Amino acid sequence: MIVFLAKDKLPALLSELNEMLEVVAPVRIGNDTAFATWVGQPIDFEKNPQISPTEFLLPQREVLFKYIQHSGRYVFEEVEPKSKLILGMRPCDLNAVKVLDKIFGTEPFDKLYFRRRRSAILAVLNCSKPEETCFCSHLGAGPECIDGFDLLFTELDSGYLIESGSSVGMLILKEHSDLFQEVKSVYLAEKNERISKAKETLNSRPNLSKDKIMGALETADWESMGNNCLSCGGCTFVCPICHCFNILDLGVPDGERLRCRDSCILSGFSRMAGGVNPRKSAGERIRNWYFDKFQFIPENTGLLGCVGCGRCISVCLASMDRWSLKVPR
Amino acid sequence: MDKVLTTCVYCGCGCGLFLHVEDGRIVGVSPSPMHPMSKGRLCIKGWLAGDFVSHPDRLKFPMVRREDRFARVSWDEAISIIKRKFREISDKSGPDSLGVLTSAKGTNEENYLLAKLARAGLKTNNVDHVARLCHAPTVVGLGYAFGSGAMTNPISSLAHADVILIVGSNTAEQHPLVASYILEAKANGAKLIVADPRKVQLADLADLHLKPKPGSDVAWINAFLNVIIQDGLINERFIIERTEGFEAVKQSVSVYTPELAESISGVNAQDLRKAAIIFGSAERCAIVYAMGITQHIAGTDNVQALANLSLATGNIGLDGTGLYPLRGHQNVQGSCDMGALPEFYPGYQKVSDAREKFQQAWGTDLPDRPGLTALEMMAAAENGNLKGLLVVGENPVISFPDTYRIKNALNLLDFLMVMDIFPTETTELADVVLPCASFAEKNGTFTSTERRVQRVRSAVAPPGEAKEEWRVINELICQLGIASCYSGPEEIMAEIASVTPIYGGIDYGRLDVNGIHWPCPDRNHDGTPILHNERFPINRARFRPVEYIDPYELINDDYPLILTTGRSLYHFHTGTMTRRTSLLDREVPVPFVEINSDDALAMGIRNGQRIIVETRRGQLFLDARITADISEGTIFVPFHFTEAPANVLTNWALDSQSKISELKVSAARIRRPEDDRFSG
Repeated sequence: MIVFLAKDKLPALLSELNEMLEVVAPVRIGNDTAFATWVGQPIDFEKNPQISPTEFLLPQREVLFKYIQHSGRYVFEEVEPKSKLILGMRPCDLNAVKVLDKIFGTEPFDKLYFRRRRSAILAVLNCSKPEETCFCSHLGAGPECIDGFDLLFTELDSGYLIESGSSVGMLILKEHSDLFQEVKSVYLAEKNERISKAKETLNSRPNLSKDKIMGALETADWESMGNNCLSCGGCTFVCPICHCFNILDLGVPDGERLRCRDSCILSGFSRMAGGVNPRKSAGERIRNWYFDKFQFIPENTGLLGCVGCGRCISVCLASMDRWSLKVPR
Repeated sequence: MDKVLTTCVYCGCGCGLFLHVEDGRIVGVSPSPMHPMSKGRLCIKGWLAGDFVSHPDRLKFPMVRREDRFARVSWDEAISIIKRKFREISDKSGPDSLGVLTSAKGTNEENYLLAKLARAGLKTNNVDHVARLCHAPTVVGLGYAFGSGAMTNPISSLAHADVILIVGSNTAEQHPLVASYILEAKANGAKLIVADPRKVQLADLADLHLKPKPGSDVAWINAFLNVIIQDGLINERFIIERTEGFEAVKQSVSVYTPELAESISGVNAQDLRKAAIIFGSAERCAIVYAMGITQHIAGTDNVQALANLSLATGNIGLDGTGLYPLRGHQNVQGSCDMGALPEFYPGYQKVSDAREKFQQAWGTDLPDRPGLTALEMMAAAENGNLKGLLVVGENPVISFPDTYRIKNALNLLDFLMVMDIFPTETTELADVVLPCASFAEKNGTFTSTERRVQRVRSAVAPPGEAKEEWRVINELICQLGIASCYSGPEEIMAEIASVTPIYGGIDYGRLDVNGIHWPCPDRNHDGTPILHNERFPINRARFRPVEYIDPYELINDDYPLILTTGRSLYHFHTGTMTRRTSLLDREVPVPFVEINSDDALAMGIRNGQRIIVETRRGQLFLDARITADISEGTIFVPFHFTEAPANVLTNWALDSQSKISELKVSAARIRRPEDDRFSG
């Protein structure tokens, strides 16, 4: 099913959806754009936010359960995630979700991840405005979304083309049909034109591929990169596929068991109890990060561990060029 | 999920970040990509800045000491006890038997109110804060030399320098965002000279690494300037047009040959010459410094020596030049600006000059007796002259020098009141403990090291009955009979702007998301990113000759090692926040002492071995971390750890001008526990 929504009707659609579930969308906060709960703020599809909406599926910090002493025994309380519609997720991030699904779906099956995943409706936005650091097309992760979405938006001059990709998506389009208009053939032409243009922009950038990056990994100067690295962990915190976490219990005798994001860039991540560290230097840890994306994840899931969203480039405190794997000189 | 734009709570960089809030709790942090300085980047502490906020250890209720334990009381009861105690002490021993230590972690508005509480409410100028132990020499030194004791340029200006001289600053660990601009400059071709007894990360990337002995800075900096003068690399036009006193400096540095400097400081004379020529020949030079310069009995002289260097080469007032004192707390600049210093009212207006003005503004008479600095207050507590102390968001038991002496001084007080967000080693000694709001729970402004006044925004409610400090201080001021009824921080800022010329144009509506660099005299002024570009506030900048003096403690046969202290990337100050952030504490979970590998070999010490580090004041058991990255004869201990507080070892000796302690030099020795067993 495919419909057309005039630009001025978008708030009305979101308001109606908002009555049933929490709508998450890229909104303006100050001069920035970030994914947050939509409560009527202006939507901004211009920029791809620095923090991927995958944080709504795998939060930075999540309560697994509360433990409470009760009549001499412990009782455990779990929190049910709210149903969400995530609007404006771009194809790169949807591809990241596909990788996360594989990782968390492998035994032992991660119940908590899938509880959030199942309660989220993904309304993806075809990418017509790649950021300067994007290279999704080189890794087959964008700019156009083919499958895996519930709804697919494409921004046109006067409105949005909305396609359904699942039964939930189709239900939504049917339920709010009064807001939509019929799709004209010029709209479809405009969609194709916008996507080709985005592809052109992306393809004009240095030609990258998995094989090329793998080649660069063999010759990269990890030591120099490690010497420059300021150990901020930013690359792991913005990566939509990075998913490592730590578990800690906070509170005695009552408290919470938390799952918090972790970072393999930190030395404590791989350090053993006795102090031995198989990845002692920052350079070795950066190398591991790359090999995870381009070798280990592909071996384990059949999917690439990088979707070319480019966020690790702009977030790097040491301005490392992540495409050429070179430190600035 | 809501995302609230605010300013980071850790170092002085002042990065913009979002707090992610869900169901009234902080569930994450992310950088603000459009922040004018941090541009969507954060250091590891910043990325984890939300973690400690909901920690179960947070103080939640006012507490009062009842014999050996704390009892929960109501706010009303706590306030009335405080009021009664303040009154009693003041009536019996005079207002100067009271003192206030404000918080460099608090907002500008809170610091302003605390200074007002001390002067207008308690009638004493005994008000100070932790700047006394970090950049007091900068406030005094650059105040004298330039007429303004603050960083001259914005951080981003560093990216445009041709040469950057970094002295006594482990920038990559303590100010990672500043380091990012230094790396950017380097990528653009800038030369990097690092002077530090430790091979810190930037020293490894530098073109030249000078390794002065701790406490020898005046000697090598004077020699550095001497080489520049001898080689004719000074900026004569700048000196003639914009400065005074150069001849005396020229005369005084002429005896500091690189060879003499080498004999005092250990800096290789050839390297020193090379560095001076690189610096003197470049178009735009920046000087970055931190605690390695200031925490000495010659701290103010060290700062002046660097100022002399900047002035002689004309590296002031332009993009890519300047002097960059890096401030450690996110609002230590603002605390100084707000007059949380005994000798200054807000905006560095001298108590001796501006008393009349503030008596009018605050509607009460103000004391003219000179106030005590932080360590002078501790000494006064020791000898019974100070009887009551209010400490806000500060942990002197761990952060001040000579821990045992500080603890003793605090124990001698009749009344100690502490406001904090977590129980600390200092709240343990208090008579009244009040729970405060963290940075994520209040509105206000912070002023970063680059003089950028920025908004702090409340994202969640404080836990339990904890309150924003400004509410509590406001209440206390009222209780002491001074009209003070602010509706909120915005109104406090309006008052600050009305009495503080450098903040004259600061207004919440104008700060928006970019903030404003002070001085900003009025509402039509856009702020001043670069200071002194046309003139100095004192018209002509002042040279002042400085002579090398020995550190207070010299090594000898009994104490053959120089102990120096500092921070780690992963911890902040006394660890109250970072040690409650699991990833940060995991990174550096135990205290340690860094020892040079040759020294360790000679002493028969293995890596990881538990050893005893001793000075004349105390001893600590620490794990040895053996490294070639520290100079021979020098050891380094971080001061974050309550289980081995480094300041048990350090030295109280004060710089006579700025009253900072010589935290960076103590004579020390190392023993192995097994040696004790054999010697019985």
